[in-house]
Amino acid sequence: MKNVYTVKQVNSYIRNMFAQDFMLNRIYVKGEVSNCKYHTSGHIYFSLKDESGTIACVMFAGARSGLSFRMREGQQVIVLGSVSVYERDGKYQLYAREIVLDGAGQLYEKFEALKKELSEMGMFAPEYKMPIPRYAGTVGIVTAPTGAAVRDIIHIAKRRNPYVQLILCPALVQGEGAAKSIIKGIRALEKERVDVMIVGRGGGSMEDLWAFNEESVARAIFDCTVPVISAVGHETDTTIADFVADLRAPTPSAAAELAVYEYREAFETMQGYAQMMRRSVTAKITGERARLEKTALRLKFAHPRQKLDEKKQYAADLEDDLRRIMKEKLMREKHRFDMCVEKMRGLSPLEKLNRGYSYVRGKDGKNIREVSQAGKGDRLAIYVSDGRIEAEVVSSAAFPYGNMGWKEKNCGE
Amino acid sequence: MENKKQENLEGMFGELETVIDQMEQDGVSLEESFELYSKGMTLLKKCSRAIDEVEKKVLILDEDGETHEF
Repeated sequence: MKNVYTVKQVNSYIRNMFAQDFMLNRIYVKGEVSNCKYHTSGHIYFSLKDESGTIACVMFAGARSGLSFRMREGQQVIVLGSVSVYERDGKYQLYAREIVLDGAGQLYEKFEALKKELSEMGMFAPEYKMPIPRYAGTVGIVTAPTGAAVRDIIHIAKRRNPYVQLILCPALVQGEGAAKSIIKGIRALEKERVDVMIVGRGGGSMEDLWAFNEESVARAIFDCTVPVISAVGHETDTTIADFVADLRAPTPSAAAELAVYEYREAFETMQGYAQMMRRSVTAKITGERARLEKTALRLKFAHPRQKLDEKKQYAADLEDDLRRIMKEKLMREKHRFDMCVEKMRGLSPLEKLNRGYSYVRGKDGKNIREVSQAGKGDRLAIYVSDGRIEAEVVSSAAFPYGNMGWKEKNCGE
Repeated sequence: MENKKQENLEGMFGELETVIDQMEQDGVSLEESFELYSKGMTLLKKCSRAIDEVEKKVLILDEDGETHEF
């Protein structure tokens, strides 16, 4: 009883053997689907069987992108996956990564081979891709005249821009003669000189889409001098036509969006341009007008009349100053004169006469200032405020004026 | 690339952008800017004509290369 192993050891030993096997890690297995269960977790459990036996299979939810159809009992399929051991049950099973219907399986290989070949020839190279015109006026469509694809394309094209001319070239898109029909359509539209064309169809199985994997169709698209947008099936369907086309649209609707520019947008762009130009011209005019006004003002200032006016103003100002100074001077002189008059008045003899004094003159015309000048009987002239009085000296006596008696000085008649 | 019409609309939009750029430059004289404006307006008219605002019927191309309404 040497070398006793646990179940775990054995199972994990076997699991390792499987894991290290190159072939089991990536293997295509074909058979008939049985016991197929779609689990709520998203995993699919089924078996593959043929006349000799069965193999348990699982496709985990994470690998579901490798399955593009609903698996049903009895279908012949090819499963790509790895064979590994499920240690809990001590069972090996096939972990599926991709499942295709058999028949389609062969097609898949053919697809891969052609893809590789054309790719190596450079037919998918970006330098051969023609740009899709942004403003196509005429859009060609190669597809079936009935079905969702053409309806979607027309619907979306009309919605985006009803002024774009659509030319439909009806083609068989599946079955016998489809490739030829598609090629014919591409050439016919090329002759019509459309600006861009959409080549495609709605979704379907790999066999349904097969025409778009034909080398002849790929070549026709490659040789076409008009840019081609491919629009085959759904987003997950990839065909050779998609690789070789100038642009791949995930769906026919998307193709219409890529081929037909939006009228609204172009119109708004135009309006925007018109507005920008108007604004630019208006700004220019406003600017020039402001410049003109500024220049006019400068010119006005530079005009000789301006200088003249300035001088005139200066002269007028000077004149005003002169007048003012003169006037002030005169006022001052007048005032002085008035003062003099006033003073003179104080000194006037008449004024003295008015105040009651008199002026006495003798016969020789001299002013009588002393008693001795007037002898008895002398005629004297006495001047008073309003005239002359003739008087005769009756007597005269000298007396010294002291504090009193000066009144008696002129007491004569 | 092959068709003149489509090139024109795209080309004309390009030209318009150039015209606007020129107009917005500082050194442009008033005369030049009027000239550019009228050139731009002519281009816009041409763009509008190129869009050809007549609703188109979908045409169908038959075996003999004839087109009919869809």
